[in-house]
Amino acid sequence: MLTVAALPLPELGARLRGDGLLLRTGPFVNCVRTDVASLAAGIAAMYADYPVEAPGGFVDFHLNLRRPRGLRQWLRPQVAFDQDGLAPFQPLPVAQAYPMLEWLLNWCVSQRAHGYLLIHAAVLERHGRAVILPAPPGSGKSTLCAALVGHGWRLLSDEMTLVRPADGLVAPLPRPVSLKNASIGVIRAAFPDAVLSPSVEGTSKGTIAYLRAPRASIARAAEPASPAHIVFPRYEAGAATRLEPVPKARAFMQVADNSFNYPALGRQGFDTLARLVDACGCHTFRYSDLGEALARFDRLAREGA
Amino acid sequence: MWRLVPGQSLNCREWDGEAVLYNDVAGSTHLLEAAALDVLDALRAGPFDAATLAARLAAQLDAEGGELVSLIEEMLVALARLDLVEPC
Repeated sequence: MLTVAALPLPELGARLRGDGLLLRTGPFVNCVRTDVASLAAGIAAMYADYPVEAPGGFVDFHLNLRRPRGLRQWLRPQVAFDQDGLAPFQPLPVAQAYPMLEWLLNWCVSQRAHGYLLIHAAVLERHGRAVILPAPPGSGKSTLCAALVGHGWRLLSDEMTLVRPADGLVAPLPRPVSLKNASIGVIRAAFPDAVLSPSVEGTSKGTIAYLRAPRASIARAAEPASPAHIVFPRYEAGAATRLEPVPKARAFMQVADNSFNYPALGRQGFDTLARLVDACGCHTFRYSDLGEALARFDRLAREGA
Repeated sequence: MWRLVPGQSLNCREWDGEAVLYNDVAGSTHLLEAAALDVLDALRAGPFDAATLAARLAAQLDAEGGELVSLIEEMLVALARLDLVEPC
């Protein structure tokens, strides 16, 4: 299997500038085309272990990230995006090209992958048990997710939980974990060996950096996981570590609220989510100490739903 | 008299005294107390008025008399707002 790391950098650049790099992420093939040189370096660093499909193969999502033509490119370089000809976002400064690529990869899945129940949630697995972490921005979800990854959990996704309607299993979509602002330093300090992208300042989400997904998680990207727990995390400065049960019917409604496509799936969405909630223990989790949080999650991974 | 809105299949799941129900007509999902689910379930054999429902559900809901009838009337009005039941 060809990986990004096996492609010499000039060849990677040529594919990105030409007909596109066919990058496989979990169940999806993304055709990425760009003339932004820094993106080639970013992809080489963060996607080194990902499979590359042969040119001309099947593609799920076409992503074009281009520097707009005209005078502006000399004054204030930008990067613009279109996906299958649609341009859903405003152009951004070229320094934000890499975060833009990550957002676009998420956007394509959230808009198009309706073969799955898509939940805005991190999902990780240990001892064969997947733990789903749905949470709004600011809850500390990504920090917790990155810490669990650093602690040896398998990363299925930090952003998007894909539940298969046919069997209720979670399909992995391991990609770089997005870290914002203070979380970047927290993860660097806790896991000095973690590979992080350069920080990009001034994005709409503040300063952002990405943690490279573990090679072992990428290697198991075709292996679905059985959901065992749904945990709604919340970081609170000074809070004691506390895991508490949530009534299942309420957990159902909260997960539905955190889904990208629950209403669009209709009855199938209801049945898929009901099966998921049936299979899982449902909890809220408050924490401030990352070490205690990791220990509590390790216990959870040993407990059934 | 009250009946289920035609087309509602009452696809629902109940856990620990609470339930979620998929509304086939509106495409929405509702969080309901299990007692509301009992009323909907009883109406499968309907239509009934509140007094008849109270008589049928007295044992299940562990209540009786006028208090139960008015409770069921309130519930029916709330369920009608969700397009799950309608007067007939």
